[in-house]
Amino acid sequence: MDHRPQNWGRPRDDVYGAYDGSYLQSSGPKQATQSPIVTGTSVIALKFKDGVVMAADNLASYGSLARFTDVPRLRSFAETSVIGFGGDVSDMQYLNRHLTDLSIDEAYAAPSSTDTTTSPGAGTLNAANLHKYLQKLLYSRRNNFDPLWNQILVAGLDSSEAPFLASVDMRGTAFTSPSLATGFGAALAQPIMRRYAETDEQAAQLSREEAVKIIKECMKVLYYRDARSLDKYSLAVVTKAGVEISEDEQLEQQSWAFAERIKGYGTQTV
Amino acid sequence: MTSIGTGYDLANSIFSPDGRNFQVEYAVKAVENGGTSIGIRCKDGVVLAVEKVITSKLLKPGANKRIATIDRHLGVVYSGMVPDGRHFVDRARDEARGWRETFKTPIGTADLASRMGGYLQAHTLYQYVRPFGVTAIIAGYDSELETPVEGEVGKGPSVGAGGKVAGKKHGGPFLYMIEPSGLYWGYYGAATGKGRQSAKAELEKLDLAGGELSLEQAVKEAARIIYVAHDDNKDKEFELEMSWISGADGPTKGRHEEVPKAIREEAERLAKKALEGDDEEEEKKDDEKMEE
Amino acid sequence: MFRNNYDNDSVTFSPQGRIFQVEYAAEAVKQGSVVVGIASKTHAVLVAIKRNAEELSSYQKKLFPIDEHVGIAIAGLTSDARVLSNFMKQQCLAHRLTYGRDMPVRSLIDLIGDKAQVNTQHLGKRPYGVGLLVAGVDERGGPHLFEFQPSGMTEEMVAFAIGARSQMARTYLEKNVEKFAECGREELIAHGLKALKESLVQDRELTVENTSVGVVGVTGEGAKRVVEPFKVFDGQDVAAWIEAVADDKEGGDDAEAEAGGDAPAPAGETMEVDE
Repeated sequence: MDHRPQNWGRPRDDVYGAYDGSYLQSSGPKQATQSPIVTGTSVIALKFKDGVVMAADNLASYGSLARFTDVPRLRSFAETSVIGFGGDVSDMQYLNRHLTDLSIDEAYAAPSSTDTTTSPGAGTLNAANLHKYLQKLLYSRRNNFDPLWNQILVAGLDSSEAPFLASVDMRGTAFTSPSLATGFGAALAQPIMRRYAETDEQAAQLSREEAVKIIKECMKVLYYRDARSLDKYSLAVVTKAGVEISEDEQLEQQSWAFAERIKGYGTQTV
Repeated sequence: MTSIGTGYDLANSIFSPDGRNFQVEYAVKAVENGGTSIGIRCKDGVVLAVEKVITSKLLKPGANKRIATIDRHLGVVYSGMVPDGRHFVDRARDEARGWRETFKTPIGTADLASRMGGYLQAHTLYQYVRPFGVTAIIAGYDSELETPVEGEVGKGPSVGAGGKVAGKKHGGPFLYMIEPSGLYWGYYGAATGKGRQSAKAELEKLDLAGGELSLEQAVKEAARIIYVAHDDNKDKEFELEMSWISGADGPTKGRHEEVPKAIREEAERLAKKALEGDDEEEEKKDDEKMEE
Repeated sequence: MFRNNYDNDSVTFSPQGRIFQVEYAAEAVKQGSVVVGIASKTHAVLVAIKRNAEELSSYQKKLFPIDEHVGIAIAGLTSDARVLSNFMKQQCLAHRLTYGRDMPVRSLIDLIGDKAQVNTQHLGKRPYGVGLLVAGVDERGGPHLFEFQPSGMTEEMVAFAIGARSQMARTYLEKNVEKFAECGREELIAHGLKALKESLVQDRELTVENTSVGVVGVTGEGAKRVVEPFKVFDGQDVAAWIEAVADDKEGGDDAEAEAGGDAPAPAGETMEVDE
């Protein structure tokens, strides 16, 4: 008997030729993540007078397959910030654990919740600090040729307690804007949000209700037009008072009447 | 200490002819001079309390904490050499973080006690280190809830693997005390530091094993016991620091937190009152004796 | 000198549970010239006496800026202090780079405490021979003052003094401890200098050559928060402050010093020339 495990259960070499093990060789450059596998689509967010609204659907796609339909992609940090993840879901889960560790570390030294000498949340990382941290993290990962395949939105308040919204991508590119969207949302939702708030001044005129309404409208457009999206989504609002996240929002009053008029796609024969 | 001067107590990890490691025993002496720390495990949570003797009027009141959070559900208090205690806390935090990284779940109180016991024991084995000059009390509340495979973002499978056995109870409040030798036991009530003798005597009166004491009562008892233990050391002022951990449906929602100021002050008020009552009784007894 | 067998290294406990090497290191702090620190609700100040090795040599600096929001005063081995100071600078910069904020002072202090503790537990290492007073501001309760000891002990204080003859300064501080919280910048400096004077050797006085003052402050919260970065004042810049606490101006222990204006006043007229 051939005691080498790699030869067990194989077709005979003398008949079928030797096994091509070349793909197992580790010579050549080390290869890390080359592409995302399970992915989340757009994350969108809009500033308003007192804070920021953010939304992302609950779908994790495996290629074009709608593989997992209950994956919320927004999380809160230290009850002061919201982080939304687009892109690779396993990298999102890694970052989620990493941020949990960070929040535990932060809580070691922060004043206790019952300390009345400082305002709540004072001294803990705010959204601007958190965004800076994630930018350094993602940039250093890409410099090591092992990127975290995500585009991330961070929302909350900055050190002067003004609404803060910023984005960072898998290369560590960071920027900020009164409204932001990742993935397909950058093309489909951003123009809608900009109609209402092209500048910070305009965003500061928006009420919370108006901002939520605009975001919900954008989520509907995204569901109509983005084939990797879902009508179940998460919605977060962050203000001075804290973070509210609802993970079971449902798109309402959908109207697919327009679909009939679209010709030339899919399996239509007429 | 008949063996002092025989040379067997000059280096760590050396056995004396009668099988003792003197350096570890001396480390215990450092603990015995420290402020009293106690822990109480009750039916719905754990309480930690420490007597902080005020060594200088110039210390900022309330600013120097001695009870540390290790993970969200874990707290540690210690008596003895404070910098050694901080080292202990740092290591415990590393262990908790490492456990989360490996197993994607918070470390259990028993597991942390085991890891830290091993760490302290290792410091008795080698001549190039010294043992820790602290005895530490670890309190934890291991979650009774089904914890998700992933945190808040993305849930694991709602059915299938998870390792839960139907009907088996998981989690609950736990308390461990670790000595400089690395020896540790689980406790219902633990005490260490200068006032440990009287603190232990008070803890034993509480019937903690009976499981009747509630967390709110335990906070009051903890405050009282620290006041009783301090009684022998009356001339020095002290600050009381207390923390607690309840289950997910209790006041701290499973987290290790400082006891809110209002509750602590009320507990201190009761403690002082109870102590005055004792003194009066004693005086009465003395008076009666005199009369006799 | 009496020697016992338990004081040769920092990994041996005495039968009483003491570590003599660490206690001896604490003695090195008492060899350094005195430094005083005080914190109020808005400011933290450090004041120090500088020494010169000989008449013609320069004076050894005692106060060092660490970052925009933190500064230290040292007593003991200056070269050990430089190791800690460099470490603290690096940590503050790294924190600023990574998070874009001032490093919380407590976190910084804990790091040097942990660093120093390791030196008391391993053979072949020695404890640091220096004590520090660290003054800083952060968003966790405004101004802070910490004391650092060679044992790795770190404690937050309202006011403190370390170094040679510092007990007298501490006595002054204890006597006035209740006042400090509400003190303004100038009052706090005056209290610091008065405490410093208590620790002077007979016939020595505060001069522009031997006195250093360091100040850091913060006012307001949130959007209105304004930080006065840590700055060290030496030479003629401290003349007005010294003048303000001169003996003939004092009306007793409780006299509130009245230094002129917010900015350090111009040089006094009687000061000697440096060269």
